[in-house]
Amino acid sequence: MTDPTVAEAWVAAPLRRLKEDARLISGVLLYPTGRAVGQFGFSNAADVMSICALTSAINASSRELGRQLDGKPFYELHHAGADRQVFMARATSGGQEFLFVGVFDRESSLGVVEIYFAEFQKALEKLRPEKQVPVPGPSGDFEGELNRSLDALFGPIGKR
Amino acid sequence: MKVSQVVATLSHVPGVVAAMVVGAADGLIVETSAMLGATDGGSDPRKHTAALAAYLYAKVTRASDAARLGKPAFMRLEAEMGHICVVGARDVVLVTIVTPDANLGRVRLDMMTAAKGDL
Repeated sequence: MTDPTVAEAWVAAPLRRLKEDARLISGVLLYPTGRAVGQFGFSNAADVMSICALTSAINASSRELGRQLDGKPFYELHHAGADRQVFMARATSGGQEFLFVGVFDRESSLGVVEIYFAEFQKALEKLRPEKQVPVPGPSGDFEGELNRSLDALFGPIGKR
Repeated sequence: MKVSQVVATLSHVPGVVAAMVVGAADGLIVETSAMLGATDGGSDPRKHTAALAAYLYAKVTRASDAARLGKPAFMRLEAEMGHICVVGARDVVLVTIVTPDANLGRVRLDMMTAAKGDL
């Protein structure tokens, strides 16, 4: 298994720990805007780009669905496929929101992923640098934001 | 026997600190008793125990299968301050957290009897 590649160094250790403890096959940590912060299990930037776009969209729609149905947004989403399962959840670190999406199989379980994700959240909160990297809000340039974050993870196009 | 009855029965066995019915595949708690001796402010270990015990039981099942021993009947993890007992029952596992001085024979018998019922 490869180590996580990250755009912000402080998330590398918590991501590695989450990957190992929860026995995740792959995972992506991103901002709700779709900008990737770190990933593991992927070698192709296009795959991460698709996942970021989809996760961001799923978060937006499920959040609104939660508001409509329950008066508050949903925090977690789980989909069990035939062989693999997807876990998606929100994490906050000092007011900054993150999304995480991870894939696991029968080598793990939802319960195990949930408990180690809770520890991951605590680690994010603890390790958050005092001076935060300024996170631009949605600029409207969704594709540009995605590409910039993928450049940080995989290197510029042509060098990937 | 209903899931809630199983939990109630097991939780009344002397030495059982907590009894849980846990999803075998997902490790999530289906039904649980209160944690004996737990304080309001203290951390609750039931969720962690349930998820990890179900996970461990799945691994033990694979090991038992690899050794051509069939399904495990009863799993007991002995630790410094007590035991974790696990019995499989189709789609769920019964998990108990037990004190070191508990009557393990009684715990084992009651858990296996409960697992044989219509859970």
